[in-house]
Formats: sequence, C-alpha cells, structure tokens
Amino acid sequence: MIKTMDSHPPHTASPQSAAPSELSQARADFLKVCDFDFYYGKKQALFKINMEIPQRQVTAFIGPSGCGKSTLLRNFNRMNDLIDGVHHEGDILLNGRSIYDKKIEIIALRRSIGMVFQKSNPFPKSIYENIVYSLRIAGVSNKRILDETVEHSLRGAALWDEVKDRLQDSALGLSGGQMQRLCIARAIANRPEILLMDEPCSALDPIATAKVEDLIHELKHQFTIVIVTHNMQQATRCSDRTAFFYLGKLIEYDETQKIFTNPGEKQTEDYITGRFG
Amino acid sequence: MSTDTITMPNTHILSNFEEALRSLRNDALMMASLTERNLENTRKGLFDRDEDWCNTVIADDEEVDTLEVQLDREGVSIMLRFHPLASDMRNVISTMKLSVNLERIADQAVNIARRSRKLIARPAVDDLIELEPIFHYAETMVKDAVRSFADVDLELARGLKERDRRLDEMNRTFADKMTELMTRNVDHIPSYMDLIFISRFLERIGDQATNIGEDTVYAISAEETRHIHHVDG
Repeated sequence: MIKTMDSHPPHTASPQSAAPSELSQARADFLKVCDFDFYYGKKQALFKINMEIPQRQVTAFIGPSGCGKSTLLRNFNRMNDLIDGVHHEGDILLNGRSIYDKKIEIIALRRSIGMVFQKSNPFPKSIYENIVYSLRIAGVSNKRILDETVEHSLRGAALWDEVKDRLQDSALGLSGGQMQRLCIARAIANRPEILLMDEPCSALDPIATAKVEDLIHELKHQFTIVIVTHNMQQATRCSDRTAFFYLGKLIEYDETQKIFTNPGEKQTEDYITGRFG
Repeated sequence: MSTDTITMPNTHILSNFEEALRSLRNDALMMASLTERNLENTRKGLFDRDEDWCNTVIADDEEVDTLEVQLDREGVSIMLRFHPLASDMRNVISTMKLSVNLERIADQAVNIARRSRKLIARPAVDDLIELEPIFHYAETMVKDAVRSFADVDLELARGLKERDRRLDEMNRTFADKMTELMTRNVDHIPSYMDLIFISRFLERIGDQATNIGEDTVYAISAEETRHIHHVDG
C-alpha cells in the first residue's frame, strides 16, 4: 500500500517476508487509469486513456516513439511532476486510491512504484550501498536488516551468485547487464507494489537481455510489472497483456497472445507487422 | 479504443519481407497448380484406361515433393529473419500447412494412378463409371480449397467441411455397392477391391482439401475450426 504522511517508515519488517500483495488475491484493476489526459505545457501528450492493469501480471506498452507510452509510465509514479508546465486531467488509481491524493507522500509513492530505466544508472558507490541507499535515507541503520535486504534483493534480481563475494566493490565495475539487474535489485529493495520498466533491455546484449527477461518472469509472482518496449518479440515473450499506443491514444489493449496473433484494430496490425509508415 | 483519423500503408516497411512473403505465396500457388494437374492426369488415366497418364502422374510427383521442401525452407527462413506476427504469422503457418496437405493430395493421386494401372491390366468393369461423381466431387473440393486460399475467400473455405461429409457418405455408399457386387461377380473381385481403394483415396483427398479450408479460415480470421463436429438438429 502507498504510505501516507502519517505512515510508519518502510523496512521495519524483515525483507524476506512476503510482500503484502503476495498474500492477497490478485486484483484485476490494481492500477486503474481513468479518462487520463496529460499535457506538456499546451501540447497534449495523452488523450482520454482508460485502462486497468492487473496485479502480479506483466503488462507491455508498445507503440512508435512519441506515442505516449513512456509518458504514461512516468505518470504512474508521478515522475512527470518534476517537469515544469505539465498538467493532467482524469485520475490514476493504485489499489483503488488516487495517486494524486493530497495525503499521499510522493516519496512513499515512488517506493511503492519502482522504476528501472533504459540506461542503467547505478550510484557511484559500492554494490552494497546501491541496494541499501534508500533504506539509509529512510533511517534504517540495523545492519542485520540491511544485510538481509541486500541478499534478498540481489537474489531476487538473479545477481547474488555473481556479486556476493565483492559487495563492497564499485557498482560501476559491473557489466551492462549486471548493472541493469543491480538497478532492478535496488528497486525491489524497497519492496514496491509495482515495477515500471522503460525499455530495460534496449542497451543490453542478447544474453543479458535473456537474463532480465527471465527475471521479469520470476518477479511477476511478487510484483505488478509494466514494461515499455520497442521489441515485439520481447513483448510476446514477457507480457501477459499488451497495450498499443499511437499519437497519445490507447488504440488497443488485450491479452498479448490476442494482440500478436489476431489484433482487433487495423492500426495495431499495421504496426506489429511492420506496415507502419 | 480506435481512432478514426489514423491511416497507414498496407505494404511492409521492409521490402525484403514483402518479397519473401510474395515468393512463399507464389510457390504455394505453383505447388497447388501442379497438384491439381496431377489429379486431372490421374482422372484421365483411370477413366480413359490410359497407362501413360498414370505413369506421368507417378513421375510428376517428384516436382510436388521438391516444392514442399522448398516451401518449408522459405517458411522457416521467413520466421528466422522477420519474426512474422499477426496476419503475417498466420499466413506463413497456413502456407506451410497448405504445402503439407498438397503433398498428401499428390501422394493420393499417385496411389490412384498405381491402382489404375492394375485396373487397366485387367478386363474393364462397367461399374467404374459409378466412381466418376466421387472423383469429380473430390477434385472440385481441391480446386475450391486452393481457390479459397488464393482469393482469401472465407465462405468458400468454411463450406468445405460440410462438403467433406457429403464425400464421406458417397464413399460409404460406393463401398457398400462394390462389396455387394463382389458376391455376384466373383471374377471381378480384384477390380472391385481396387475401386474401393480408389474411392477411399478420394475420400482422403476430401479430408486434405478440408484441412486446407480450415487453415485458410485460420489465416484469414484466426478462427480455429478444426475438430469442431457438426451436431444435427
């Protein structure tokens, strides 16, 4: 759940305990977008988006550059709030509650909705410190909790076996694929409800890509994942549902198998078959 | 969710992909044309009692076999190079399955040609004429199956399943009649046996034409129509 301003700090529980969402029944409208319009100044980037993203599934956003998929993704954890002149209409509900609710602490929201970017962006610190950074910011200093979080997160990101003997080495010495998985580990250290991934494999080689995709498959049992990708094969391999965006509009949103076998809209068909000009 | 202001072109951005799909389709239609020709030559051999036509069909089967292998290679190459999706994927899969069914139809034509040679070596039986409507029916089903694929004709493709049931009935009736004739004309038993076999081969050709129809339906509409049985009433 999102922390409100009067909530307790995170990570007082053991990091190895199950995420709250793991224990409850998956919700079909875990993340719900309602009549959502978004503007960069006067330029409208999203038009009346309505969609429900199910809990503990992988949802892929596809579409040509500039179609609005990353813009919508960045609205889910209100990263777009950091840009001057933006405004929105409509609402986005996380587990039934508006992410724009004034009582919601935005830092807590971003812990609840973690993000992994196209280019891995580890801090210029050790592997260990990258993982525990947000915990330290939140005031957690108990070494046992920090150690457990590091191991749990690195195991969750399928990186533990590769780095367990050099946790104090600089994160910048890792390979591209390892750095990306470190960023995923850093995101899941916060035990988020949702993981947003903005083209997480676009800078990785096929082996590193396969590892991240395999990881996505594992993580969806615990987290709700939304992934933006330009790689159709990646969308078909990784996701349960796929949304196609074009010119800021949601053209089609359905089960991935349906979208890539028999899409309902001609625009979707033209895009995924490469007829899009 | 659709927008009515968006228009997009219908050709692939990758011209190589467009060309590979076109080549696959052209080779499939060539294979279909050769298969139809073999079936027609089989008919001439059987009903005109012409052994030369029978031998031609047996020899020409190699062309169909070669095209089947070529279509397989092309299909695999397209999947490997272009990762087709949606209608492109359905078309590639259906075309590869079409080639398998055409190859089987051509094999049945060879089977009929072989049986025809045996019939020709023996005195003619008048009852051969009873087989003509069955042959015509099966041959027309093959032509229509190919036409449904070539013309993207969903209704023609859908109709083949019902027509196959009619062909099955014709085959059963014919077999019953030949079995009954065997008891009365013992000298012709080997020929009646050959005619029963030929009728059975034609019934199988109808099954394969129906398979082509089902694959065509899938290519056009993604609808699965295999193993859906008709319930009367």
